Amino acid sequence: MAPPTLAQKDKKLFADLLSQYENRQLSKGRKTADQILKKYPEHGETMCMKGLILVHLGQRDEGINLVKEGMRKDLSSHICWHVWALIQKSEHKYEDALKSYIQALKFDKDNFNILRDTAVLQTQTRQFEGLVETRHNLLRLRPYNRHHWVGLAVAYQLNGNLAEAKQVLEYIEGFLRNVGSYDVEFSELLMYHVRILEDMGDFQSAVDMLESHDRAKGGSVLDRMASTEAKARLLAKLKESNADDEQRTAWTERADAAWRWLLSQNADGYEYYKGFLANQGIDLANVTDENREKALEMLRGYFNAQFATAPRRLALHVVTGQEFKDLIKPYLTNAFTKGIPSLFADLKPLYRDSDKRQIIEDIVEEFRATFATSPPSTGDSVEPTTYLWALYLLAQHHSYLGRHKQALKILDIAIAHTPTLPELYMTRARALKRAGDPHGAARAMNDARLLDGQDRFINTKTGKYLLRAGMVNEADAIFSKFTRGGTPAATDLEEMQAMHYLVEQGDSYRRAGKLNLALKKYYVIQKVFESFREDQYEFHQYSVRKTILNVYTEMLKWEDNVRSHPGFIHAAVATVQIWVALYDDATLGLSLQPAETTAPDVSSKKAINKAKKAARKGQPEADGANSKKATATQSEDKGLEPPRLRDDDPEGLKLVLAEDPLERADKYLTGLSELVPQNMDICFAIYDVAIRRKKYLQAVRMLMRAHSLDSEHPDLHSRIAHLRNTVSSLPEPIPAPVGPVLAESIASLLPGEISLELFNSQYLQKHSSSSMAIVAHAKVAQILKAPQDEVDSILFTVLKEPVQLDHEAAFAVLSYLKEMNSSRAEEFRIACNDRFELSTLFRSDEEIAALQRSFTESGESPADGEALETVV
Amino acid sequence: MNIRAVRVEDLAGMQDCNLHNLPENYTMKYYLYHALSWPSLSYVAEDHNGRIVGYILAKMEEVDEQEGQPATNHVPHGHVTSISVMRSYRRLGLAKKLMLQSQEAMSSIYRAAFVSLHVRKSNRAALSLYRDTLGFTVKNIEEKYYADGEDAYAMQLTFEH
Repeated sequence: MAPPTLAQKDKKLFADLLSQYENRQLSKGRKTADQILKKYPEHGETMCMKGLILVHLGQRDEGINLVKEGMRKDLSSHICWHVWALIQKSEHKYEDALKSYIQALKFDKDNFNILRDTAVLQTQTRQFEGLVETRHNLLRLRPYNRHHWVGLAVAYQLNGNLAEAKQVLEYIEGFLRNVGSYDVEFSELLMYHVRILEDMGDFQSAVDMLESHDRAKGGSVLDRMASTEAKARLLAKLKESNADDEQRTAWTERADAAWRWLLSQNADGYEYYKGFLANQGIDLANVTDENREKALEMLRGYFNAQFATAPRRLALHVVTGQEFKDLIKPYLTNAFTKGIPSLFADLKPLYRDSDKRQIIEDIVEEFRATFATSPPSTGDSVEPTTYLWALYLLAQHHSYLGRHKQALKILDIAIAHTPTLPELYMTRARALKRAGDPHGAARAMNDARLLDGQDRFINTKTGKYLLRAGMVNEADAIFSKFTRGGTPAATDLEEMQAMHYLVEQGDSYRRAGKLNLALKKYYVIQKVFESFREDQYEFHQYSVRKTILNVYTEMLKWEDNVRSHPGFIHAAVATVQIWVALYDDATLGLSLQPAETTAPDVSSKKAINKAKKAARKGQPEADGANSKKATATQSEDKGLEPPRLRDDDPEGLKLVLAEDPLERADKYLTGLSELVPQNMDICFAIYDVAIRRKKYLQAVRMLMRAHSLDSEHPDLHSRIAHLRNTVSSLPEPIPAPVGPVLAESIASLLPGEISLELFNSQYLQKHSSSSMAIVAHAKVAQILKAPQDEVDSILFTVLKEPVQLDHEAAFAVLSYLKEMNSSRAEEFRIACNDRFELSTLFRSDEEIAALQRSFTESGESPADGEALETVV
Repeated sequence: MNIRAVRVEDLAGMQDCNLHNLPENYTMKYYLYHALSWPSLSYVAEDHNGRIVGYILAKMEEVDEQEGQPATNHVPHGHVTSISVMRSYRRLGLAKKLMLQSQEAMSSIYRAAFVSLHVRKSNRAALSLYRDTLGFTVKNIEEKYYADGEDAYAMQLTFEH
């Protein structure tokens, strides 16, 4: 049925409706729409427009229904499709919205606005072939606007058509030649052009272009740092390509001048030194005996550059033996005198060379002995604070090397010497943490915090240490001293995308067995990364218009890889492990539900209050980039975005009862296999889900990949056994083609003639001193249905010689024993408690509860918490 | 520590550094906005592991084209949105180094006449860095500038061209 045709004067009315919408005269628009619909109740376009207006007015469901109805009445209208696309876009369904835009274009192929939005969506969804076409159409419609030329060049580049991109840029530069000589956008365009030449491998043209636009010679490239960096980099690439000696010498000279200029601007640019030396054939990461002298000499040239610390530090890396001794001494003395807290972090990479490590230790010990035996009562050489910073370094040194007692003893001396320096308590906290005492560590960090309540860094560390010690509420109270007043710390930190907090909080809940709350946090992390993906949206147009393109195209790449961030990987692995645990034990989800009692349940009441508070808060603050737009929200226009729904499951109690745990786990892992193929934890996580979903080929593929990365990994050992055991216990063999392929793949990991028993005992023999290998061995014994006492006995061997057992591994063993409900778990705990005397990890539950209580009861000093308010 | 211009992949580390150090925080989009608009003005300091331990996030206040202010009314100038260094990396002069790199870029690329910033009245260490070490002067006091009600000093440093 064809849509009704409007009479001439009603057509005018419809045009009014469109312009009223454009001008956001929403109530007026609704009236106009009603007026038309009265006469033409079947008019699809008007229905869609009215629906759109209703959505803006906050009647979302009603509006969307009307739009859908209108669409059905008129599927050949670009207006209907456009409206529908806008709604899909507002729900971030970019792929769907793009399809609707393409439909709309079928009926109105030269609609400029639709084309423009289509280009944005094609970029967002990385459909670059279509983008090139759309950009061509935009340019055809507006050939005199240079932004459309720029847009076409970018589309070509993204689609891999570099030669075409270059051609378009040459054309733009041709007609821009007479803009003023001082134009940032033109300068950025030229730098973009250089990058394209570089990506094409045409290094010579790229260098020529940089030189012909050199600002020092009146050229148009304004950013001399970026352009000189590019030139130096390009000359290095030219040198790598074939050329005769004379040519190479010339390039080396020009590159040398470039690196020197860069160093004159920033003598703390490590990459500049790297390039400067590489230009002379010296690989800074692998200095040899042949070029050591020359490297040092080149660095020495910058020793006295104003304020620069990089050259002296790099020299420490380059030199060895006596020369190292000569250079490290003044380096240390200078740092002690100035009281530089980062000295240890700065030196630590040198420890890879054990000679250097020993030299540092000897010098500092000597220094300390000199002071300790002859206190500077005469006031000659060593200042007391210098001594203090030497002790501080020494404590970090010993703690790092696992000499916990020694480190703590030195810190006691230092704190007795100067009880007011927060750094000493922070180091004590770290030393205790390393020794396996998270409770003492949290207390020490809090001591540091009490000395400087205004410092957010120590505050954050204290919160984190409290989370590590399982004190979630105490941590919250600490964090809230720096979060926005009036809202819970968690709300502010989540909104501000505080990854460090979210990860620690989730882990803390997980350690405490509160899997529901842990999952909630890990899903917030997923949401944060989704919002990172969203963030690029408005730059697709913005950056092209601004003609700032190199950083924009870098941003697109970053967006594609953003989920390789360690925080996301960590959350993904943890989430999968929880879902797998919930799948394996169907009662687990139920056991997390609060016990039903007649007394009011305090925790859920709290949660309800929390949820209420969160719901009240409403929209987030304007985020700077579009703060101007945000001021308009007072009006009747509620915008197109769906309102944030109130979380009806704030504690994740429903979540843990989900019926599709494996599918949810799988979803969190989407794309990670390609994004971080070298990550073993991801291989294992994918395996764990795939094998349970009976996706055997995917499962075996992950183990083969892990095998190629580290064939002896304990977590791989147990999974190989798990895989073969699972497949061989299937009631029916898997039919071809999967079955034979799978069998062959498994055999490549573990030859068929080797029994699992043999495989397991061989593994143990090979790694008899590794505690985690013993755990893996026990896990396989368990798979092979060994009786519990046998599994227990295997695990207890970690306590014997010659096994290297640290408190972390011991804790993992204890957790495993508890997980299996082993009757010997307590025995193991007591043995570890005796063995790791500094650690509190192996205390009884009552003792740990007492430790946590004592933190709360010890209270905070009366002045604490007021630090922020009292300063004016 | 290594001082260099910001790259997009630094922004998460920058955000992390900011959240550790300061009470004024921003979502990722705001960092992206700075990096994508003025890619040469923001700098980072990173440690040997590539961790961001200090940063300066800066922008230009340019003539607002839409409002069409006459250029005489509004000289282009730089503005420091945020600068901080992790506590454990202080006393290395990192803040100063970061600031100087950014200032140089403001002045040479954008012809900024001056750079402005806000500092909490109570933050004596920062105030001393800006005033005594870097030569800023206090232009005025903005009352209740911060969310918690604290006043800010609005400071400026004029560039010599």
